[in-house]
Amino acid sequence: MTAPTPGVAIEAGHEATQAIGAQNGRQAPRSRPGRSLLPALIIVGAFLYYVLPLIATASFALSDGRHFTLAPLTDALGDPAFHDSITLSAGIAVLTTIVSILIVAPTSYLIVLRFRRIRTLMDFVTILPFVIPPIILTLGLRQVYGADSPLGVDLVDSPLLLVAGYFVLSLPFTYRAVDNAMRAIDVVLLTEASESLGAGGLRTFRSVILPGTLLGIISAALLCFTTVMGEFTLASLLGYATFPVFLNNVYASAPREATSLVIVSFMITWAGVLALAVVGRRAGGGTTALRRAA
Amino acid sequence: MARLELHGITKRFGDQVAVQDFDLTVGDGELVSFLGPSGCGKTTTLRITAGFEFPDSGSIVVNGRDITALPANQRGMGMVFQGYALFPNMSAADNIEYGLKVRKQPTQKRRQRVAEMLELFGLSHVAKSYPSQLSGGQQQRTAFARAVAVEPSVLLLDEPLSAVDAKVREELRTEIRRMQLRLGITAILVTHDQAEALSISDRVVVMSQGRIEEVGTPSQIYAEPRSEFTASFIGAMNEFRVRIASRSGGLVERDGVQFEATGAADLPDGSDGLLLVRPESLEPVEAGAAPVGPVIRGRVEVQTFLGSQTRLLVREGSDLDTSVHGSRLVAVDVPSAAAGRWPPGAEIAIAIPIRAARVIAVRASDLRSTAAVVTGPQGR
Ligand SMILES: Nc1ncnc2c1ncn2[C@@H]1O[C@H](COP(=O)(O)OP(=O)(O)OP(=O)(O)O)[C@@H](O)[C@H]1O
Ligand SMILES: [Mg+2]
Repeated sequence: MTAPTPGVAIEAGHEATQAIGAQNGRQAPRSRPGRSLLPALIIVGAFLYYVLPLIATASFALSDGRHFTLAPLTDALGDPAFHDSITLSAGIAVLTTIVSILIVAPTSYLIVLRFRRIRTLMDFVTILPFVIPPIILTLGLRQVYGADSPLGVDLVDSPLLLVAGYFVLSLPFTYRAVDNAMRAIDVVLLTEASESLGAGGLRTFRSVILPGTLLGIISAALLCFTTVMGEFTLASLLGYATFPVFLNNVYASAPREATSLVIVSFMITWAGVLALAVVGRRAGGGTTALRRAA
Repeated sequence: MARLELHGITKRFGDQVAVQDFDLTVGDGELVSFLGPSGCGKTTTLRITAGFEFPDSGSIVVNGRDITALPANQRGMGMVFQGYALFPNMSAADNIEYGLKVRKQPTQKRRQRVAEMLELFGLSHVAKSYPSQLSGGQQQRTAFARAVAVEPSVLLLDEPLSAVDAKVREELRTEIRRMQLRLGITAILVTHDQAEALSISDRVVVMSQGRIEEVGTPSQIYAEPRSEFTASFIGAMNEFRVRIASRSGGLVERDGVQFEATGAADLPDGSDGLLLVRPESLEPVEAGAAPVGPVIRGRVEVQTFLGSQTRLLVREGSDLDTSVHGSRLVAVDVPSAAAGRWPPGAEIAIAIPIRAARVIAVRASDLRSTAAVVTGPQGR
């Protein structure tokens, strides 16, 4: 061709921009050897900052004042109130996670697919829980679902109230994680491809979109679960003996036992994060996890 | 398998008209290309046909049945997308099987059809590979196989080859044509690559600004364009402003010289016309020869090597000669072996062979300041 068509020219321009970007990227890691000490120092510093309090906590918890002992931990684990609280917390966390995913995943899909215009609005709405203090949320929940509920439903005595509250509270994490996953695949194009092959909306969501965004959905689920497991304010204000509330109560009478439970809950969280990392690593390295799951 | 009719399709986005009064009938087993510059409405028309957009007015009819209101998933058409849109979580075989599963075909039948498709498209050895592990060409073939596995009434292809490199593209376009003929499938191909459109289509629809500019077979479009737009869009074309000297005699006049031109008999006496001549139809005049038709004299400015031919850009007239309408550029192709005779700066005389010259009416919108314009990419 003697003259490129406009389309070609645009593509070529695009590539040129990318090439420039790549060059910049290549130059960036070049640094003098003396400087490589600094990142190492930062990492060590951060590690100490994070680990020292944990060591202190553990050494306080697992001793009787002089010697190392597992007694505070075994005592705490044997407490029936611990069992009740952890069961309640886990139950609420599982329920909230399920409800959240069932609501957030299809909503996020539909927003990307059909209602792009309200995307910005959703971005804003879903971070509101960050800026609204839990006390306001509690009062609101009481107003809407309490004895004088305009909806005519009194949920104050039901853990379902907590599930509703926690759904809102974890929305910044769940929606963001799922929405990012939706942005990562070409939702619109894949949906059209699926429709062109005769599939309806549900089928497309189940067979194409869900497997494609599975990683984001798993992250959302884990984030939701851990958020709920550790939430104190809302449960306390609404009068539920969830695990964090129990922990707080125990601390007054038996600080060593409470502290040993903190270590336990840390470990639960770590297990969650580790699971997330493993799934992420496997999905990243050849997306095998994604495929098997699909 | 199917005959597709588009009747008076119009589509606006806001106050911008993307497609206007689009009328086209695609016959059973025919491959029709939509060709036109960026933004002329090719994709929009295709998406309306597929059911991803709905027209503001007009109707879509397949085999006599009006499907204008049907959603995409009920139209039974196949589509190959520009970026292929393969499902990343499914292997090549699973991608091909998807449409069959959606149609609830029995497992046995599905397996058989998938194997058949894999075989037909030479994908058997990569059946279990995921899209990310396939080459561009293999992805393209998988997308094609996935679309035709369900035996669609019409196959829609939106720039299916724009993502593969030039060498593979040529190979794949022949393959697309071969498969389309073999399966006897009715197809629309959207492209802005004229070589692609001209080489594999039964008919080409040239579009401009949402309208059909011209519909014709590739050779009609190339050799006998009916509009200035088509002439300048397809291949390289020399355009000379002429006047119709004698309608009855089929004569046109340029710079006081009268000569015969095809098409002059269709235009009113005294009206303006555009004389269209491809660079390959022009011939340098040998010294001492006396050509019959008009002769262009000038100096070679640039040589462009095109393979067996070399294109000379010749500036007509001389800088001192302002008697004609200033100087203008004319492209002429000469055999590369002989190109050495006309280095840049050399004087040259070019004859316009009478048979090759066609004249078309000048529309008000076609008027340009220069008398002769060489336009468009060169089509080969
Ligand atoms: N969803 C949309 N919203 C608004 N305008 C649109 C939309 N889709 C297309 N258009 C406009 O309609 C016109 C036709 O677009 P279309 O994509 O059909 O062009 P095209 O011929 O396929 O171009 P290209 O060769 O660049 O793909 C363009 O001006 C485009 O900006
Ligand atoms: Mg397009």
